[in-house]
Amino acid sequence: MKSNASLSRSNALNKFLTYFFLIVGALVMVFPFVWMILTSSKTVPESMQIPPTIFPAQLMLDNFKDAIASLPFGRLYLNTALMVFFRVVCAIFFSSMAGYAFAKLKFRGKNILFCIVLVQMSLPSQIFIIPQYQMVAKMGLANTIFALVFPGLVSAFGVFFLRQTYLSIPDEVGEAAFLDGCNQWQTFYKIMFPLTGTSVAALTIFTAVFAYGDLMWPLVVNSDLKMMTLSSGLATLKGQFSTNFPVLMAGSLLAMLPMVILYLIFQRQFVEGIAGTGGK
Amino acid sequence: MKKTSRAVALLLTLTLLFALSGCGPADGKTHLTFQIWDVAQRDGMQAMCDAYTAQHPDVVIEVQVTSWGEYWTKLEAAAESNTMPDIYWMHTDQILYYADFGILADLTDLYADEDPNYYQNHFSEISIGNASGTDGRIYGIPKDKDNVVLVYNKEMFDAAGVSYPDETWTWDDLTAASQKIYDATGKYGYMAYNDEQLGYWNFVYQNGGYILDPETNVHAGYTQPATAEAIQYYVGLQQNDWCPDQNYFAETSPGTAFFSEVGAMFFEGSWNLLSELNNFPNMVGKWDIAPLPKCPDPVEGDGYGTISNGLCYSTAARGKNLEIVKDVLRFFGSEEGQRIQGESGAAIPAYLGQEESWSTVFNTFDYVLDVQVCYDQFDHAVQYINNASRRKWKSSAADEMVKAYKDGDVDGALTRMQALADAYVTTDEA
Amino acid sequence: MKNKLSAAARREENWGWLMVAPTIIGLIVLNLWPFVQTVYASFCEHLGFGHYRFIGLKNYIDMFGNAEFWKATWNTIYFCLLTVPVGIILALFIAILLNAKVKFTGGFRTIFFLPLVCAPAAVAMVWRWIFNGEYGILNQLLGSQIQWITDPKTAVLATAIVSVWSSVGYDAVLLLAGLQNIPKTLYEANSIDGAGKIRQFFTITLPMVSPTLFSVLIMRLMASMKIYDLIYMMADETNPALTDMQSLMYLFYRSSFVAGDRGYGSAIVVWTVALILLVTLIQFIGQKKWVTYDV
Repeated sequence: MKSNASLSRSNALNKFLTYFFLIVGALVMVFPFVWMILTSSKTVPESMQIPPTIFPAQLMLDNFKDAIASLPFGRLYLNTALMVFFRVVCAIFFSSMAGYAFAKLKFRGKNILFCIVLVQMSLPSQIFIIPQYQMVAKMGLANTIFALVFPGLVSAFGVFFLRQTYLSIPDEVGEAAFLDGCNQWQTFYKIMFPLTGTSVAALTIFTAVFAYGDLMWPLVVNSDLKMMTLSSGLATLKGQFSTNFPVLMAGSLLAMLPMVILYLIFQRQFVEGIAGTGGK
Repeated sequence: MKKTSRAVALLLTLTLLFALSGCGPADGKTHLTFQIWDVAQRDGMQAMCDAYTAQHPDVVIEVQVTSWGEYWTKLEAAAESNTMPDIYWMHTDQILYYADFGILADLTDLYADEDPNYYQNHFSEISIGNASGTDGRIYGIPKDKDNVVLVYNKEMFDAAGVSYPDETWTWDDLTAASQKIYDATGKYGYMAYNDEQLGYWNFVYQNGGYILDPETNVHAGYTQPATAEAIQYYVGLQQNDWCPDQNYFAETSPGTAFFSEVGAMFFEGSWNLLSELNNFPNMVGKWDIAPLPKCPDPVEGDGYGTISNGLCYSTAARGKNLEIVKDVLRFFGSEEGQRIQGESGAAIPAYLGQEESWSTVFNTFDYVLDVQVCYDQFDHAVQYINNASRRKWKSSAADEMVKAYKDGDVDGALTRMQALADAYVTTDEA
Repeated sequence: MKNKLSAAARREENWGWLMVAPTIIGLIVLNLWPFVQTVYASFCEHLGFGHYRFIGLKNYIDMFGNAEFWKATWNTIYFCLLTVPVGIILALFIAILLNAKVKFTGGFRTIFFLPLVCAPAAVAMVWRWIFNGEYGILNQLLGSQIQWITDPKTAVLATAIVSVWSSVGYDAVLLLAGLQNIPKTLYEANSIDGAGKIRQFFTITLPMVSPTLFSVLIMRLMASMKIYDLIYMMADETNPALTDMQSLMYLFYRSSFVAGDRGYGSAIVVWTVALILLVTLIQFIGQKKWVTYDV
């Protein structure tokens, strides 16, 4: 009896601590968003009062109007969606093939070729901007959706990541298919690829999140405002409004809105997509 | 297998589709691109292009904006791969690098048939200087000209009982007014922040000093007494209670502080005035502009001075549509082209006699800014500082200024800046 | 015999090459070749517009003799020290909390992962505003007067906070996945032994989650060594603390793009990549000591 009581007391304490830390953490995570929303509704002088005021004096939509007048948000949403979509498709398609080959097939030069993948992951992306821009410009494809997708045509991270997944699938699965008369491509496409669903979902999310946040490349390659992404559009807004934070916050909110809504709708799949990554 | 091929086919089609979306329409017209960095001037540039294409329906000009930070990275990359836009803005900081390397088309003879002295007859010496290469040839059509003005908050002056700044103002009036405003309202006075064109350069030239020796434009003059004195004075302004320090300005630009009504005065370039009227509609009527205060006891000269810069339109020497582009540029540099630019409010036209077309837009506001100040100040204008080697040391010199603000050792910083600049003076120039 | 491949093996080899070809060709053209050019440029002076002149080791000699460069190297390491251990411990802590059987875990997860779906440009803007020394809410909340972004003492810390804030959810998701793959039976067997929660964590949880922890560590370390965007968005050129907070890649940006000295900038990149490879190598050697595979 005694031990039971102390057990339940320690359980209660555990629970209390868990909630306590979760709530504190959640507040820290949410605070910048709240502050963004509050600031976006302030006037500039209001935002610069000492001491800062927490709540705006009135709900002000002017900042949103200014942001909308400066950026073609509809196009930005569309461009960003297209860029993310094509980058994801390319990453999954090419990385699955390469990841499978690196994990399951024997061929000469495999180790050296895989080194290229590893080396790429350690290279800072800033050094690619000028050469890649020149390639796109030479093709006459600057200011297109293709230009936005270009650096994401292949993904070293995707190859590395999916190779790990294919490694975790027992060799016997492939061998069985091979004995059934499948060739290497069919084994990959019909048998192995479908087994990597959760990893592909995770790669989708990572690629999408990365592409969505990519800033320097879209800024350099697409100068036409109609061809910008949300990130590069926001940077342009910053150039225009300097340190006028209420307008910048309003623009940021508008830029994040669709992604956040999508996330809130699909958050279960989102989390499970990643959480399933380990593979059973 | 069928599924596979369908997937591959789909992918290929999609790839093709979005690759094709980049190709221009095949309408038989000449499509030109025009690259600029200021969003606020896009409409003005478009209006000017539209005027040209109305007369030349076989030409289409598309205006593209890249923000300043990426503009030069991109333009240089494009120059290397010979994929430059057909027309682009050129800045004084960069023109010598591009022109001396043979990237820009020589436009000296653009108006040879019309008037051999076209440039000299229609543009000021400063405008032509800002558009010339080290060899003295002209590599850009002068676009606009600007200068630096004092922006002040009328309400704060009224509250402190100080009369508005005018052309008689000196540095002493500036600091005295700042102190009074600070005492009376608790607001900042003159916000003196770390900047060249909108900051200490003006003070240096008013005091009779120089950044680059005006005779030869080769030697730097950071340690020259008049220069050092002015920079000491300017950096020292942040010691006053009425001026925020550099930490403050690194986070809040003086413009933002001014339009949030926490400071009474700052130096602003004429090119920003229109967008400030547009971006802060609630502030219209509460502020105005005045000439820069002069130096009360200059080492040399009359104490006046305002840095004047100007952009120009350039094109690549190896451009594919060079002849058509030249015709467009001829229009951009014509009286009509410059007037359209001026009337749009984009910037003060470089074309002599067309300056005041710039007032058109300002007259549409409820409160009309005293833009006459900008025109009058051209009498004391000092050409924006530049030479061929400055590009190589200017960012290091700027770093030294940042250090000077941090540790207060202005003399040390100036000595190092002088050394940085001197290192690039080649023996044959010296 | 060894060199002679059977028909099946040859076919397998062809398939292998075919399947890696798009990726490898892409990587060579898009990434590896530019890097080779960067290495070459590091031995050259940039004359302008992509024209180079070979000058041997001068850029490296200049670089190693430059105090600003060493400061940037230290800033980068300092940033890694601040973000990697703290970020990963926090992420693991959050993952364990989220794995606990409490109510509203779904809601908490949603909140913790929210920064993932925000554009970094927006994130940097709002944090800059929160950190603002004069008008920022953080100083107001703490009752402090800290110039977070412009004081050399706190500038790196401020960027590190933003970095951890935006990546901790990402890492926590991965670790959560690792935690959920631990068979419950392991804990049941262990609790019969009467082991305490803390011992359970060190004997079961940590070893079981160590492979995931290792991947997260490698990813985070590589990202932190290459930190650039965040500093670019948080600091302006006139920031007095810039030299005290700039990372190696930011110094590269300023040398190559702002000052136009691409040879020197390339030397910085080569140094950075060498550092990253070295650190990664140490991690791969070190993992044998603490990462448990196939339990």
